[in-house]
Amino acid sequence: MIEVTNLTKRYGPHLAIDGLNFTVAKGEVVGFLGPNGAGKTTTMKIITGYMAPSDGSVKVAGFDVFENPVEVKQRIGYLPEVPPVYTDMYVNEYLTFVAKLKGVPSEKIASMVDSSLQKTNLQEVHKRLIKNLSKGFRQRVGIAQALVSDPEILILDEPTVGLDPKQVAEIRHLIQELRKSHTIILSTHILPEVQASCERIIIINRGRIVAEDSLEGLSRKMSRGQRIFLKIRRNSKELVDSIASLDGVRKVESVDGNGVLHVDTDETEDLLERLSDHVVKKGVGLLEMRSSTFNLEDIFLKLTGSESHIAKH
Amino acid sequence: MRGFLTIGWKDLKGILFNPIFFVVGGCCTTVWGFSFWTGLRRFIGSMQMAAMMGQGRGGMDIHGGFFVQHISLVNLILLLAVPALTMRLIAEEKKLRTYDLLLTSPVTATQIVAGKLFAGIGAAFALVALSFLYPVSMAFFTDFDWGPLISSYLGLLFLAAGYVAIGIFCSSLTESVVLAVVAALILNVGLWFLGTGTDIVEGTFSTALFEHLSIGTHLVGFVKGTVRVSSIVFFVSLVALYGFLTQRVIESSRWR
Repeated sequence: MIEVTNLTKRYGPHLAIDGLNFTVAKGEVVGFLGPNGAGKTTTMKIITGYMAPSDGSVKVAGFDVFENPVEVKQRIGYLPEVPPVYTDMYVNEYLTFVAKLKGVPSEKIASMVDSSLQKTNLQEVHKRLIKNLSKGFRQRVGIAQALVSDPEILILDEPTVGLDPKQVAEIRHLIQELRKSHTIILSTHILPEVQASCERIIIINRGRIVAEDSLEGLSRKMSRGQRIFLKIRRNSKELVDSIASLDGVRKVESVDGNGVLHVDTDETEDLLERLSDHVVKKGVGLLEMRSSTFNLEDIFLKLTGSESHIAKH
Repeated sequence: MRGFLTIGWKDLKGILFNPIFFVVGGCCTTVWGFSFWTGLRRFIGSMQMAAMMGQGRGGMDIHGGFFVQHISLVNLILLLAVPALTMRLIAEEKKLRTYDLLLTSPVTATQIVAGKLFAGIGAAFALVALSFLYPVSMAFFTDFDWGPLISSYLGLLFLAAGYVAIGIFCSSLTESVVLAVVAALILNVGLWFLGTGTDIVEGTFSTALFEHLSIGTHLVGFVKGTVRVSSIVFFVSLVALYGFLTQRVIESSRWR
């Protein structure tokens, strides 16, 4: 659905994005992840046809963004960083305007506006001036605006910024709903968001793709093995050493001296059993034990942390 | 086509229902009303004087002796008021970031400019229509020749459209509405001063050139009741020129 080839954008001497290559298949939900200033917004703006790349090309549904901008724009619903709302219009009036602008046939406008109001839970404010709405509601009007023409592709730049936790959950739910019928690219620097909604993650840093995979794939790639979290009532140096000497344990770390241990291990199946047996036999008071794979945050920090690290992966 | 009308209607409503339009309209009618009244008194006075001296109407007609004064005031006010109406058209979009919406919608830069021109010209015509009420009101008291009045107003409409195109161009250059107004005022006034170039150049060609570029020459034609094709072409090309420049400015955000 979206093909990005060798995409480069320079702002004067500053290289905002540098040779990006990726494709997004129809119906996929792709998370664009990166620290501030990584080039997420620039990439999205180029895909939407807002600006042209310095080099490279973007094809949406087979149309080149620069050569057939109108064809491409008809297929895209875009929520920019700042919701593009006219503050002196009513919510209803605004969405009707956007629907017309996006070329929705006139007989369908009313129903499309209604359904986008419904999807974003805006029914109770649809007769209010956008000026008087809170930031969260404005953000939702922004999302409704992207949905109103029922585009094939949705590009959402940080869709949950400014929303309260309940609304964030609603938006995630909405994205889950939309994934059935739309191709979605969403950018964020909030990690749980990607974890919750995306099938595939593209991590970019300083204008380059540093990782591109599914969440599980990324976790696997980053660490073969797992980390076991132990909480023990009577911790001692001796216990730490004895755990470290177990077969399959790579590293034991006493985290705060209060009996919390991080045990990094190889992926051996019976290790959990042996480890728990070992701790129980020692009679040190096992309070808690759980295994965790590395979460996205670890991966993200690892990948965007230092240039030397990026080069290695 | 539809995109242009969608943008045009939305912006026209945006201007006409905005308090700024009422303030601008109120100021304009105050000035016009006062000047129309004093002008009328003066005109009646001179008519009576002429009658007393036994010269009949004294060769004075209501158009040349009175309406022309009103029309030149309308022109002056439009020069100042139109930038206030057009200032928000693009600058405000940039400031509110709704510009992103326009540029990512399936409309071309030409359609955007056409929509903005439609809205601006519509609002400016509303102002011109307000000023038309004053001379029309005289029809209740006396008969006069409508021809020159209507051709003068045709000229004013063309002129207003020119100011609008300049205002929109200035609005497209900046995010600041204040800067947009100031720039538009400077360009509008500059356009009038271009006509004074005839005084400083010699040679028939350059004199003719400046005469043709002078708004004054063209407007005077309309006021005198002669509608010349060259004048219409002048105003239409003025609108087209600034419309084109605005289109380039909008288009440039794609490759800048």
